[in-house]
Amino acid sequence: MTPTEAFERARRRSAVWIGIGLLLLATVYVRALVFTPAEVVQGLAQKIFYVHVPSAWVAFLAFGIVGVSSAVYLFLKDPRLDLFASSAAEVGMVFTTAVLVTGPIWGKPIWGTWWTWDARLTLTLFLWFVVLAYLVLRTAVHEPSQRARYSAVLGILGALLVPFIHVSVYLFRTVHPMPVVLRPGKPTLPGSMLATLLFSFAVFMLFFAALLWHRYALARLADARAHAAAERDDA
Amino acid sequence: MPDNGGFMVAAYVAAAVIYLAYSVYLVRKGRTKG
Repeated sequence: MTPTEAFERARRRSAVWIGIGLLLLATVYVRALVFTPAEVVQGLAQKIFYVHVPSAWVAFLAFGIVGVSSAVYLFLKDPRLDLFASSAAEVGMVFTTAVLVTGPIWGKPIWGTWWTWDARLTLTLFLWFVVLAYLVLRTAVHEPSQRARYSAVLGILGALLVPFIHVSVYLFRTVHPMPVVLRPGKPTLPGSMLATLLFSFAVFMLFFAALLWHRYALARLADARAHAAAERDDA
Repeated sequence: MPDNGGFMVAAYVAAAVIYLAYSVYLVRKGRTKG
């Protein structure tokens, strides 16, 4: 099997897993909306939690992958690490967009405003712009090794924002709630809500993995074709 | 309990649209360029 055939097979297989991920996402919706109790103080708006928080966790995981892959790229100079980092950045951008859209829809009924320049909200928006800059930079530089080096540096800088965003609720006076699961000590969430949150997180992880696999297969396919075209031009 | 189910529905629909739109975009991109 040629490399192109292998990437083509990965593309087809990962597309099936994206479909499975979407179906499982529908089961998260059913579980959260029908089989999980509503919170007494916030009412039904609190259920936004089950899509907002897993989206944020997965987005942070994606940018963690970008940071690590980029850092290792700078040492090993393996172009696969660059392609993997850029794939994770694009998919992470989608999850961050979902965080930034569902957050204000939750904020309006609970805080009384769609947006406030709170530390966590502002830093998350800032991260979104950094990742946008990363993706735009990649389209602006055409020489592959130069593009990989520039974007690796920006990828590392963007990933450095993630731990700041996580601890921002401790560092600053903020309206955003403190962590209820990823915190020192035990989770403060009731069991039924915690179970739904963890189920949602598992599904979001699987969905993310499928999207990342597919995006990476496309990146490898495009890379293999670019190399083949360059060799033809040289011949 | 406050009556704010509309916001819940809006957030769930918005998230579904984002994830579905990106999935379709990615798979279609793969099909056309694959």
